[in-house]
Amino acid sequence: MTRAPMLGRFRHGYVAPAVLLVAALLYAPFVWTAYLSLTRYDGLSSPEWIGPANFAELLGDPALLTSTRNTLIWVAGTMILPVGLGLLVAVLSYDIRGGAWFRVPFMLPYALSGAGLALVWSPVLSHGGIANALLGVDTAFLQEAPANTLAMLLVWTWQQVGVNTLLFVVGLQSIPREPVEAARLDGASGWRLFRHVIWPLMRPLTAVVVGLALVASLKTFDIVWVLTQGGPGRNSETLAVTMYKETFVASEYGYGSAVAVMLTVVTGLASYLYLRRQVR
Amino acid sequence: MIRSRMAALGVAALLLAACGGNGAGTQPRKKSELTLYNDKGAWTRFFDEMGALSKQRIGLGMKPTGYTDSAQYQAFIKASFRTDVKPDLFTWQTGGMLAEIVKQRQVADTTDIWQEAIKAGDLSQDLAPYYTIGGRQYCVPMNVAYWGMFYNKKIFDRHGLRPPATWDDLVRAAATLKNAGVTPFYHTSVLFSFVWFEQLMAGTDPDLYDRLSTGKAKYTDPGVVQVMEKWKELIDAGYFMNPGDKTDPGDVMKNGKAAMVSFGTWFNTSMTQRDLRAGADYGFFVIPNVNPALPKTSVIFESGPLCSLAKAPDPAASAKYLKWWTTAEAQEKWATTRGDVSANPKVTIEDEALGRITKEAGSGKYRLVNRYFEATPPPVLTAALDGFGKFVTEPGAYREVLETIQKEADEYWSTHQ
Repeated sequence: MTRAPMLGRFRHGYVAPAVLLVAALLYAPFVWTAYLSLTRYDGLSSPEWIGPANFAELLGDPALLTSTRNTLIWVAGTMILPVGLGLLVAVLSYDIRGGAWFRVPFMLPYALSGAGLALVWSPVLSHGGIANALLGVDTAFLQEAPANTLAMLLVWTWQQVGVNTLLFVVGLQSIPREPVEAARLDGASGWRLFRHVIWPLMRPLTAVVVGLALVASLKTFDIVWVLTQGGPGRNSETLAVTMYKETFVASEYGYGSAVAVMLTVVTGLASYLYLRRQVR
Repeated sequence: MIRSRMAALGVAALLLAACGGNGAGTQPRKKSELTLYNDKGAWTRFFDEMGALSKQRIGLGMKPTGYTDSAQYQAFIKASFRTDVKPDLFTWQTGGMLAEIVKQRQVADTTDIWQEAIKAGDLSQDLAPYYTIGGRQYCVPMNVAYWGMFYNKKIFDRHGLRPPATWDDLVRAAATLKNAGVTPFYHTSVLFSFVWFEQLMAGTDPDLYDRLSTGKAKYTDPGVVQVMEKWKELIDAGYFMNPGDKTDPGDVMKNGKAAMVSFGTWFNTSMTQRDLRAGADYGFFVIPNVNPALPKTSVIFESGPLCSLAKAPDPAASAKYLKWWTTAEAQEKWATTRGDVSANPKVTIEDEALGRITKEAGSGKYRLVNRYFEATPPPVLTAALDGFGKFVTEPGAYREVLETIQKEADEYWSTHQ
């Protein structure tokens, strides 16, 4: 018996459940959101078609400028801190005795959810909180922009370094030994060995880590929502927070959907451009 | 062959599951226990006690499902209008939010319940306007609250202070405390950032406050600008704690981080939960008007509704529950367990200060002003809460803040007059 006749005419049947689920749970809501972005809708009455007016308003909205700036800080900060430090910890701990134990403390915070993380850090960053007492300063870390975004970025780093370290360690373990040893024999070591041999060999994995971090940072929401709700006065809002606030707090479902569509396009485009460059 | 048939069968089953309704929504079924959805997650214990009592008295149990994020809660309730998953009972907000869902014909009419309750003396006629839309009543009062100032009595005693009779007294008390190294007032940049705005507006020009909430006045009008300048003066004088302090206001009172916290009478629940004793550890006073020439002292008032849907799973059971909720027996329990005031005038309020304000408000001594949260349409409210949040951290930006709120108000009222 061969495989082909078994698949036969019903071969599409095998993928149909997955296709149906994806269509119903992912594509349909996206199409619906895209439609809502072209309407005025309060979540109750029927959506009223207004064409691209929401997008026109969005582009002239000063709050969008702030959330775009904050989102960019999140993206850049994520690349430097959680990803950069993750790489550093991985490289420093990879080849030493007991390195795995060294990495354990970095992994522990990853067990927290984003909302839980924010709740844990709220009394630390609060004015008159633990950080003020420890540092002997009188700063409200979550008040002024962009300091509040940077403070939240440090919290995010505390949680994310571990998982990035883990991924980079996997990358380091998958590197073939031969080219590394050959380079060592040729006298390369330290920074030169890393820069010219190890780093290029790790490139496929780096692409994945950076790609994941890029998408995660573009949609930063829970930590900001719980710690500052995007405030005070919208100064720590990210695009995802703007989307949530416009939709569910202000009941401007159409406008919120326009932010969602824009965020999707930006995330999709950034991922595409980045991955195309990396996976060539 | 068998495998391909199995696959086809699997697809068919999934399709059926995806497309089929449960068919239960068409025929109301008798319920013996109702689910009460609410955005007051912290009150679950009190709702549970009410459920136990109602089961005993009217044979209808009640289980609460409490949310803590009100935006998430509202989105859930709105979504339930279009699905078969409908709450038996749910809490909501009066004002524009109630009008919005009544307009969609989603809310059960409670005119009969109101008429009977007013006749029996269980509800006051004065409360009816908050629940009346197009001449009919919807929902019943879940709670009522009067706003005033909670103060740390020990701190007041230590500095020889008494509850102020005039606005100047209040400012003098703040100055005394500040000089003694005590922070006089609590305020915050998140959610309740509107509290001092509404209080100063209502105590300065309550008519302007009312016009503002109906789009007949502008946030950039001189009267509103003056109120912001007054507020800024108080902040600049150092009378407020840092809005970046995330300490729970209940703990602020308990620890004396600030001597005074302005909230609705429901804040008394936070006091009793912390084992603080009224009259010994803390007290409550009505905030005097900023403008002494006003004929009556303005008191911020709020009432949160308990509603049921026109298409509730068992409309008769939901209506029976709402009717029971308004009775003195139910309200006595509801008010006592939380240490709060009640919408039912027959209920004796244990707390002396709260009992007094309820009685005086009922006698017409105050001008009751609808709380900003209910009085303001959601999009304008969102912009205002953000704006006041910005203002308390950056008081110099008050003009810019007012302009931003007015921009949102212009947009809203251009389509909603």
